[in-house]
Amino acid sequence: MSSTLQSAQAVPVEGKPLIELEADLTEDGRYGARRVVVTSSHVSVLEPGGAVLSRVAIEDIGTIKNEPLVSGGRLRVRTKSGDELTLATYSLTVAHRFSDLARGVEELAAGSELTIALPQERTRCEKCGLPLPEADGFCPSCLNRGKTLIRVAAYLKPYKTRTAVLVLLSMTSTGLNLVPPLIQRTLVDGFKDGTMTTPLLLQNVGLWGLLALAASATQIFTGRNMAFLAAHISADLRNAVFRAVQGLGIRYFDRKPVGAIASRVTNDTERLWFFLVDGLPFFFINVLMFFGVIGFLFWTDVGLATAILLPIPLIGLVSMYFWKPLSIMFHKVSQKMARLHMHLNESLSGIRVVKAFVKEDFEFGKFTVRNREWRDTAYAGERRWTTGFGIMTFFIALAALINWGYGGTLVIQGRLTLGEFVMVNSYLLLVYGPLQWFAQINNWFSRAMAGAERVFEVLDMAAESPNDDGAVQPLRGEVAFEGVRFGYDKSNPVIRNMSFDVKAGEMIGLVGHSGSGKSTTINLIARFYEPDAGRILVDGRDYRELDLADFRRQIGIVLQEPFLFNGTIAENIAYGKPDATFDEIVNAARAANAHDFILAKQDGYDTVVGERGARLSGGERQRVSIARAILHDPKILILDEATSSVDVETERQIQEAIQNLIANRTTFAIAHRLTTLRTANRLIVLERGEIKEVGTHDELMQAGGVFAKLVETQRQINQVVEVGNV
Amino acid sequence: MSKEVRIVKVWQEPEGRYRLETEDRCYLAFRPAWSSPLSRPGRYLALLDGKDGEITTIPDPQALPPEVLDPLMAMVGERYLSPMVTEILTIRMEFGITYWDTMTERGRRDFATQSLQENVHWLAPGHLIVTDVSGNRYEVHVDRLDPKSRRLLGNAV
Repeated sequence: MSSTLQSAQAVPVEGKPLIELEADLTEDGRYGARRVVVTSSHVSVLEPGGAVLSRVAIEDIGTIKNEPLVSGGRLRVRTKSGDELTLATYSLTVAHRFSDLARGVEELAAGSELTIALPQERTRCEKCGLPLPEADGFCPSCLNRGKTLIRVAAYLKPYKTRTAVLVLLSMTSTGLNLVPPLIQRTLVDGFKDGTMTTPLLLQNVGLWGLLALAASATQIFTGRNMAFLAAHISADLRNAVFRAVQGLGIRYFDRKPVGAIASRVTNDTERLWFFLVDGLPFFFINVLMFFGVIGFLFWTDVGLATAILLPIPLIGLVSMYFWKPLSIMFHKVSQKMARLHMHLNESLSGIRVVKAFVKEDFEFGKFTVRNREWRDTAYAGERRWTTGFGIMTFFIALAALINWGYGGTLVIQGRLTLGEFVMVNSYLLLVYGPLQWFAQINNWFSRAMAGAERVFEVLDMAAESPNDDGAVQPLRGEVAFEGVRFGYDKSNPVIRNMSFDVKAGEMIGLVGHSGSGKSTTINLIARFYEPDAGRILVDGRDYRELDLADFRRQIGIVLQEPFLFNGTIAENIAYGKPDATFDEIVNAARAANAHDFILAKQDGYDTVVGERGARLSGGERQRVSIARAILHDPKILILDEATSSVDVETERQIQEAIQNLIANRTTFAIAHRLTTLRTANRLIVLERGEIKEVGTHDELMQAGGVFAKLVETQRQINQVVEVGNV
Repeated sequence: MSKEVRIVKVWQEPEGRYRLETEDRCYLAFRPAWSSPLSRPGRYLALLDGKDGEITTIPDPQALPPEVLDPLMAMVGERYLSPMVTEILTIRMEFGITYWDTMTERGRRDFATQSLQENVHWLAPGHLIVTDVSGNRYEVHVDRLDPKSRRLLGNAV
């Protein structure tokens, strides 16, 4: 203990720092920085000023670990003399890194070479100092919106001809709208000074009629073009997002509810195309119109133009006051809407459970609360919008009043003709009409950019399998774990230092209590997750070097709750091999003991199984999923409690099917009933994420260890159940 | 509802390692865990042994004598790092990310959350949990906030 220091002293850190990390909580649990420095001889904790708060000699360390706490963790050391101390406490922001630091110290304590590298992680933006959404990621606050807009606009690229036509039509439309006030001026002035003749009148009216016709035609073509672009761009965006979502790792799906992911594919893409196809052209047309009209107004009379444009800054102020909070309110409306959708999805998906527990009123109550939240938020947003809009309307009226007051005076004074006055009045509508919507553009823009950010977040996320070239490199099926460590939360490993070798064609049973790491092990084998440390080798190669799609094509999985798609039985069996012949489908079904029950159905293989296979029984679904795995012909097969939820007769049929399935394949099986693993070549017994025993069923029974106890416990339970059933 | 075991003593031996003595045995390793920390704070404190098996659950820990309660509360304080937000200084939304600048019972803390719909969980009306991008959780009791904080929160969620 002499080497352990526990009060702040300005003692220099001994040796070159090998690992340095910053903890974000102080000893009394308040937010504050503490630097943990590991050298070849000591682990030291320093205050920001450099004073050493505590220090432990590495040679004195018995164990060191990151102890997971609620919303954080702490670095705990147990010295060889039995003392325990907490070196540092930290939030989850850095906890996973302390897990690595602890491993590094263990390596040094064991006299091994340090293999842990902890490069500096950026959790805050260097420019604005705000926290980053993802470590080393981009800062949305400093994101160049112009660039985002350009990126959004890139979705117009495949339709550049139509986009160009849309721009031309927009400009034409602007031009056409600017001419009628000029005709009005000619007509009114002509009437007033008596120079208007019938031919001249007809000529002007005819011209006006032609312009109206052309404007109408332009409007029709613009509308049709916009409809085309809207439909195509929205479809393209949905395709892109869905494709990207599919490519993401399972961790993403663990974190996000399905409803929220679906919302990205539908709602966010909708915001984006709405802005592209409606917002941008509107903005473009009206900006052109705005400057065109202002030009005409100043050409007519500078003083009058200045006077009637005076309310514009006021409109700008109103916009700033109303629209910025409004965009947040609309964001809130989307949240409430999504919250309601999520509940709706959940309660409809679980309708059988709801009905079975007579919880209709309970679910309705929850729905009502969410519905009310949506209603109130939407109402608050609309209320603000309407108020802002009303004030805008007043300023527009003010502009008209200025024109009538000041412009009327100019007419009386003879400085402005009556025709010019009427023309200015018409132009006023062209300026102020769109102006009240200009502020709305900001709102559209904000919503679209928020949608764009969410869409691009998915599109930019690294796909699981970036290099799928479609080629299949046949696997032999050897699998090896080498010191694998893994945690769903990286700071809290559920698989620890796991190592084993499996030969091609072997059947391995994974055994252990609930939470021992069986399912996590097969999730790692299927590469739904990858190890945080150590390697998994397939045919002697780190499986991260293999093409993921190629690898998965040679993996088959039969789950406890098989998932079938809403299609026919034949389509489901052929899911992994869509070009399978009908004979192949039938052969697979025969091998899976599914053929007979399929034939007994009215539509045989054409029977539609319903959503998630709901129209089939549990045992039927399981056998269809086994047939699907057989036809897929995997080299590595994973059976996750494939027979746990069926009756004894169905289990017998499924067991037979499984025996057909596992022949010549490397198989990893988890089974609820341990006796079903008798045929396994070896059993791996797990406890708290570590391997406790390995051997055949008989060897492990003779050893009388963890497995034997599990079997005995199960035998006793079965006896109790049997007695209970008598 | 739980095993009733009388707690005799809680002490540290050596420093940093807590021990528990009950009426029938002594535990060299144990840890306290709130059974329902969010909906029933301060009540139902479970004591778990080294294998996470329940030793006992204390429905009302405040009724314990100070010499037992104090070390237990010290252990609890070390284990639960989720802070309670006492004041909201600012909430800013940028591109779907919400930036919070808050005062908590553990000091000032700024953090970012992604989709509020996914990361704000209402436990009850007026009681919510906000989860930041790293998974840290922040508890908010709306009625304990000042009017400005309530307004800022109300604008965002």
